[in-house]
Amino acid sequence: MKKHYDIVVVGAGNAGLSAALHSAVEGKKVLLIEQHNLPGGCATSFRRGRFEFEPSLHELCDIGSEDDPAEIRQMMMDYGVKVDWKEVPDCFRIISKYSDGTPMDVSMPFGCENFIDKMEYYVPGSRPKMEEYFELLNETVAGTKYISDSNGNADSNVLKEKFPNLLRTGSYPVTRVWKAMGLPQKCCDIMSTYWGYLGIDLDRMAFIHYCNMFMKYVSRAAYIPAHTSHEISNAMVERLRELGGDIWYNCRAEEFLFDGDQLCGVRTSCGEVECDYVLANINPDIIYAKMVPKELIPEREKKLSAARGKNYSARMYTVYVGLNKTAEELGIRDYCIFFADTADSVQEYKNILGGFDKNNFTIFLCNNVVNPDASPAGTSMGFFTSMGNREEWSDLSQEDYVAYKNKYARKFIKTLKDRAGIDIEPYIEEICVASPWTFARYLGTPEGAVYGYETADWDGMMARMMMLNEDYPIKGLRPIGAAGPRGDGYSSAYVCGRLMARLAIRDLKEEGR
Amino acid sequence: MAVKVKIGLIGALDMLKFKNMSKVREMAIQAAPANEITADYAINNHAKALHPDFQELVVEKVIDHEGAGAKTFLMRSKDGGPVAYFRAGQYLSLKLNIDGSSISRPYSISSCPKDALQGVVSVTVRNNPGGFAAEHMLREFKEGDEVLSSGPQGNFYYEPLRDPEHIVALAGGSGITPFLSMAQAIADGTEDFDLTILFGSRTKEQILFREELDELAAKCDRIHVVHVLSDEKADGFEHGFITADLIKKYAKEPYSVFVCGPEAMYRFLKGELDKLGLPKKNIRCEMLGVTKKITEAEGFPKEAAGKEFDLKIRQGVYEYSFKASAEEPILVAIERAGITAPSRCRSGECGWCRSKVISGTYFAPAENENRRWADVKWDYIHPCATFPTSDMVIEVPAEYTPK
Repeated sequence: MKKHYDIVVVGAGNAGLSAALHSAVEGKKVLLIEQHNLPGGCATSFRRGRFEFEPSLHELCDIGSEDDPAEIRQMMMDYGVKVDWKEVPDCFRIISKYSDGTPMDVSMPFGCENFIDKMEYYVPGSRPKMEEYFELLNETVAGTKYISDSNGNADSNVLKEKFPNLLRTGSYPVTRVWKAMGLPQKCCDIMSTYWGYLGIDLDRMAFIHYCNMFMKYVSRAAYIPAHTSHEISNAMVERLRELGGDIWYNCRAEEFLFDGDQLCGVRTSCGEVECDYVLANINPDIIYAKMVPKELIPEREKKLSAARGKNYSARMYTVYVGLNKTAEELGIRDYCIFFADTADSVQEYKNILGGFDKNNFTIFLCNNVVNPDASPAGTSMGFFTSMGNREEWSDLSQEDYVAYKNKYARKFIKTLKDRAGIDIEPYIEEICVASPWTFARYLGTPEGAVYGYETADWDGMMARMMMLNEDYPIKGLRPIGAAGPRGDGYSSAYVCGRLMARLAIRDLKEEGR
Repeated sequence: MAVKVKIGLIGALDMLKFKNMSKVREMAIQAAPANEITADYAINNHAKALHPDFQELVVEKVIDHEGAGAKTFLMRSKDGGPVAYFRAGQYLSLKLNIDGSSISRPYSISSCPKDALQGVVSVTVRNNPGGFAAEHMLREFKEGDEVLSSGPQGNFYYEPLRDPEHIVALAGGSGITPFLSMAQAIADGTEDFDLTILFGSRTKEQILFREELDELAAKCDRIHVVHVLSDEKADGFEHGFITADLIKKYAKEPYSVFVCGPEAMYRFLKGELDKLGLPKKNIRCEMLGVTKKITEAEGFPKEAAGKEFDLKIRQGVYEYSFKASAEEPILVAIERAGITAPSRCRSGECGWCRSKVISGTYFAPAENENRRWADVKWDYIHPCATFPTSDMVIEVPAEYTPK
């Protein structure tokens, strides 16, 4: 007899881990299958020589302090998962140009008051507007939470009464709101810095989305795990085991099985399993193209896919460096430095998608600034993150691959030297370059992108949240992860996984199962 | 101060716009055509070609290196297409079925990356006493045999972002193979660095690939080959072992040392390399495997020596029980039990065999320790470099194999 599970979660990425844990906490019999021999997807680690590298996590927002936990810390506590969180000291440093072309080198602190104070220092006279702006931010965050908690049934009278500014600004893109408020352009330029974390420029990203992320960082600070994000993922798997869940590694879901139009199982590379529900941490385009019988795909899902037009936002590129000098010796004081050609996100997004000659965007992180023990005594480590366009990484041959990815690495190492005065080149003991090919290999996402679909224009986060009941028409199957309502990012994926598991359990209950 | 923000002229319309976000979205969706959904991406296809789950190869030619007691197996992809491209110095893990065991062995690729594009790849196997897999391959492998291989693996290659332009290769026996691949890649322009190979052999007759190496050195002035004979004195050859002095004699500053050879050579070289005072980043050793004399390893629990334990392996829905010796890596016992388990480097380094200990105790020698921090914390092991010291229950992942 085949093994039967209440819920099978396909893909142990962040959303999958969260979905599996929530289901198990709720007493469901859960199987989590993962195509690699490690959990986490992006949230993992790898060893080179004496270094253990963090592959993707810059910083996690929504953790909050132990005494006053924010959503993700609370979620982990609810799941029974313990992680050794280390607080990141500052928001960011950005070395770029203001929209008017003048040079920009600013470092912003955490904390709303501190942020406004520092902004006043860089942009004298900005305080009154910034204070007003933070009032709007606070209202928007509170209103979003209200909407989110109401599971799509928000009372419009409550919204009008308590969150009128949210209602008036929520459907507009970020830059429209800034303009309407009359914020000084330099403040906007500085506050644009995080746009790359969401993979969409601020002319097209909904204010409500950006605002929520921005405030999660600024008001609650950011954290990283002491021992790479593999610590988070492993801790989650460990808890899943304690709760009676199973996890199969090196196991690939090949096809979803149906009884009529109701999902009833999964054919995997390790055999068939029966189940009542699947939460698939897979991009819907891949699910529909390869894993569901064609005749079961609803017309609207085909239209949704066509409307999104395979626009997965940018593909990821990273360079990991293990250095045989300490951060102090190398003069690295900032955890996180953004390098861009312009603070104008529309222009910079175009630059990034413009290929090698135009793309000078990179973020450099040094783990040891947050956690001196991140690497062995006398060493330090860090990584550069950038993005790439579809064509440059599609048209590349196997023979030219290493030279091309190294060409980018050289450019970013030089950027760090020329623009921040930090010369790491002579001290590179280990180096490893991950391109969109690498991300495609390990994540299986379309083109190695990590953003799901662009959360832009008509397909923003709030619009997706409002349509949870229309978007998931296949009985017993819900895609989860970056392509879901919350978009990309660690915390979004954790929240998305839990939300979808909740909805799956609701569906099962309604069907009397 | 109560802030009031509005974007349009009439705030109420902004509110309506918010409410209408779902309607706008629905209109955008309905306006699109109901095309069939496809998911075929060039980037993902490149990744798959570079990192296949496995490669099905056929032995096309067997070259006997008689004096050296070795054979080169030239293999072609079964489907006639290219084999996975690689970086000179990488290895393949070959799956072998010997007497009911499904075992794997890592072999450095001795051919050059360019050949892979033509669908050809070679490994060279040398007879070593007690080498169970090598003996089998030398005896049994013939033209037309099918071989299941991994994709290219390992990090033992020249990295221009990290390494100085001059590499001094220290090779012993079949440890020459990654350097032969590198030398060919330099000669054909794939790689761009200077390579001086100090190659230790017993006698002239026993030098593996002597002709090929000398030819490459004659053809390309970036390649230098120095033969070091331990058991014979001859003109034009260095005599003795590879020492710090010998390395200094041939090295051009700045340089890195790359080492690949048998266990005894590593043990000897350790002291010599220390004398050079090179930073860690300038010394790279290809993996050694796991010591055959584990009971002598530091920290090995003496009371476990000579003992056998009950191992229970869980793999998906399957469960297997068998005996395992405390003096053999857990992976070996798994393979002997006829279980197909993932493995690549067999040195504790790559983590491909990463498995979860459900119960029991084990010994993992420090010189092979390469686990992630959180894996050590939560009792994940690399069975290729871990020894049982009690009865154990272990969850082992499946391995991808052809259908």
